[in-house]
Amino acid sequence: MTSLDAGGIATGGGARFLGQRRFYWRLLIRGAALLMFTLGIYRFWLVTDVRRFLWSNTEIAGEALEYTGTALELLLGFLVAIALLIPIYTGFFLAALDMGLFGKLSGIIAFAALGVLGQYAIYRARRYRLTRTIYRGLRFHQEGSAWGFAFRAMLWWIITVLSFGLAYPFQLASLERYKMRNTFYGDLGGRFEGSGIALLLRGFPMWVLLLAPLVLAVRGFFGVDWTALADAVAQGGDDVMSKIEGGNPGLGAAIVFAMLMAGATIALAALLYPAFQAMILRWWASGLRFGGIEVRSVLRTRQVYGAYARFVGYAMVFSIAMGAIGAFVLGVMGTAVSIGRVDTADQIATILALLIGYVVTALGFSTIYRATVLLSLWQLGMESLQLSGLSALETVKARGRPSSALGEGLADALNVGGY
Amino acid sequence: MNSGAGIYFDGVTSTRRDVVVELAPDGLQISGHDGRSWAQWPYDEIEELTAPDSILRLGRRGSATLERLEIRDPAFAAAIDVRAAYVDRTGGTRRRERMRVIAWSVGATVSLLLVAWFGVPAIAARVTPLLPVALELKLGDAVNMQVRGMLDTRNAGAAFECGIAAVEIPGRAALDKLVRRLEAAAALSLPLRTNVVRRDEANALALPGGQVYVFRGLIAKADNADEVAGVIAHEIGHVAHRDGTKAVLEGGGLSFLFGMLLGDFVGGGAVVFAARSVLQSSYTREAETAADAYGTDLINKAGGDARGLASMLDKIGGATEPGAKILMDHPETKARVAAISKAATVVSPLPFLNASEWAALKNICAGS
Repeated sequence: MTSLDAGGIATGGGARFLGQRRFYWRLLIRGAALLMFTLGIYRFWLVTDVRRFLWSNTEIAGEALEYTGTALELLLGFLVAIALLIPIYTGFFLAALDMGLFGKLSGIIAFAALGVLGQYAIYRARRYRLTRTIYRGLRFHQEGSAWGFAFRAMLWWIITVLSFGLAYPFQLASLERYKMRNTFYGDLGGRFEGSGIALLLRGFPMWVLLLAPLVLAVRGFFGVDWTALADAVAQGGDDVMSKIEGGNPGLGAAIVFAMLMAGATIALAALLYPAFQAMILRWWASGLRFGGIEVRSVLRTRQVYGAYARFVGYAMVFSIAMGAIGAFVLGVMGTAVSIGRVDTADQIATILALLIGYVVTALGFSTIYRATVLLSLWQLGMESLQLSGLSALETVKARGRPSSALGEGLADALNVGGY
Repeated sequence: MNSGAGIYFDGVTSTRRDVVVELAPDGLQISGHDGRSWAQWPYDEIEELTAPDSILRLGRRGSATLERLEIRDPAFAAAIDVRAAYVDRTGGTRRRERMRVIAWSVGATVSLLLVAWFGVPAIAARVTPLLPVALELKLGDAVNMQVRGMLDTRNAGAAFECGIAAVEIPGRAALDKLVRRLEAAAALSLPLRTNVVRRDEANALALPGGQVYVFRGLIAKADNADEVAGVIAHEIGHVAHRDGTKAVLEGGGLSFLFGMLLGDFVGGGAVVFAARSVLQSSYTREAETAADAYGTDLINKAGGDARGLASMLDKIGGATEPGAKILMDHPETKARVAAISKAATVVSPLPFLNASEWAALKNICAGS
């Protein structure tokens, strides 16, 4: 046994990403075209290709990961998920027809049930991905109850919403602890040591920045005479607006102010989002542990901003190109209309052209997003890792079996998928 | 080149072993530098696995463990490629497989589109007559709730339905008289509920379960009671053919096909919605023609003048369904008007309302 390297590649204490952007672009663009022509059926193959690319080009301590999942497994998982979801959807459809109390509540029940099912799917999908991840001849695996995770996650979401997001760091920490203590590389158990308090302290200024305009906007309405307003609305009539305005000289200003503040919050959220993402990624990676192996992330926030800047650049070029093509097509169709030679077939053709235009645009933006932001986050996230205690890697024993792709199928059918 | 360097993982532990790989006649001989033999892999049991471009990563087909052999020397990798049947570094095998997948997915897409175009309406048409009336009434209530939510704009606090306020009562009575005569001739299996509602478009619609809404914009545009009766008879045609129920089934089927089966791959239901509108409008056209024929026939049976429907259609450009206006076009309207006029066969038709009743109906929404 030796830790000398056969191929002359340094086995440092970190991770490297070896993939070429050019190759990834080609893979994604070809995938997007096929997605369009197959109305999305190709997505199982595209997802598998993407994962193979990302995994096999990620080298940790000198050894590249390997993804062994196949598109057929994903397709099968999806078909099984559909078979399970059809009766559920049918049940909710019939319940909605029922006019009683149950019928009225069925929308809320369906929302909650599908929410729990979505979290269940996320956990099961993670299990699938882990058991298809091979490193140094051993697979990862995940134990623990997916239902336990789903109910925990739903409970945390409720708490987070009720606390206006203040509980979010604790939610992340708690759910990540659950995931990681059930995660194994061979027989080497994982755990998560990130603390919710630390993340809260780091994220608190952002929270204040985002919430302050909203609080100010709500305060603007305190001056409004609500009883007079309710009276005016109840009376109705054609001059209801002038009555409202007359009774409440401050209302118009309050509404304008509220809209301005909401706009400020949205703009701030967009500007701060990369920083938020970098903060979470850094905190999350730094909390990962496998046995004696410790992980630390030195991800820089400005690198994440760079990824988003590239996205904005490509998206602008793409928008201009699509705008030019769209103007040309609409111009041709407009000529046809002005000649007056329009029948129903032409109108269906117009709608189809708009439909295709929409699909191409949406697929284009999603491709650009994947090739810039998502790839960069993966690459930056990996390359910013500093690993210690790697000697533990030499003596891990094989454990765990591959799991089914049902979770992936459910996540796909419920639109809660990840990478 | 008969041997080269490699890295071997035995699939039982994570230990990384530098090994010497020998190209024996019947397989790869993997052994340590100390001469200890780790494994022998026959050439026809070797498979290539995904790895960075610079590395050839091999596994053993059908092995219970995940044993791996990595070769980093390109020349030696090529030598293995030549000998191992299932290793193809040119990617030709993968490309052929990929082409097969693409061909099958495109085939599946074509088949799904055919199902959407022909299958869904055929299934809806077969299933609808089998649905019990009680279920249709329930469905109608659910649809009614949604439709009212969309249509009722609560203009200045007035009720959605006309014919409630005191000045509107005579109008309501005139409408009832008109509808009674049509309903008696139609002999439907479920009770009809007809209301004039506060919407300014010249339009009318029939929901599953026998609810018919006539917009006040249509009453305003009508020149006589026969025109209103014609439109209501057309809507009764939809009720008799259970077109509303059929549309709900078709919509559900299409949403299911495009929404769930195909996945929301561009992150928005917009595509599904647009595809649905295009497909459903093509189904609708036949339903409209059928409802015209039924309505004309019904007016004939009731002894009225069916040309009222034709003149009304001409006036409003054939839009008897909300949202379908762009697709309901002039050539079709002209054909519909001609067909109705031809089928209006009553020689001396009896008007549906007298002058004072017609005046009352015109005022059915006078309350606001």
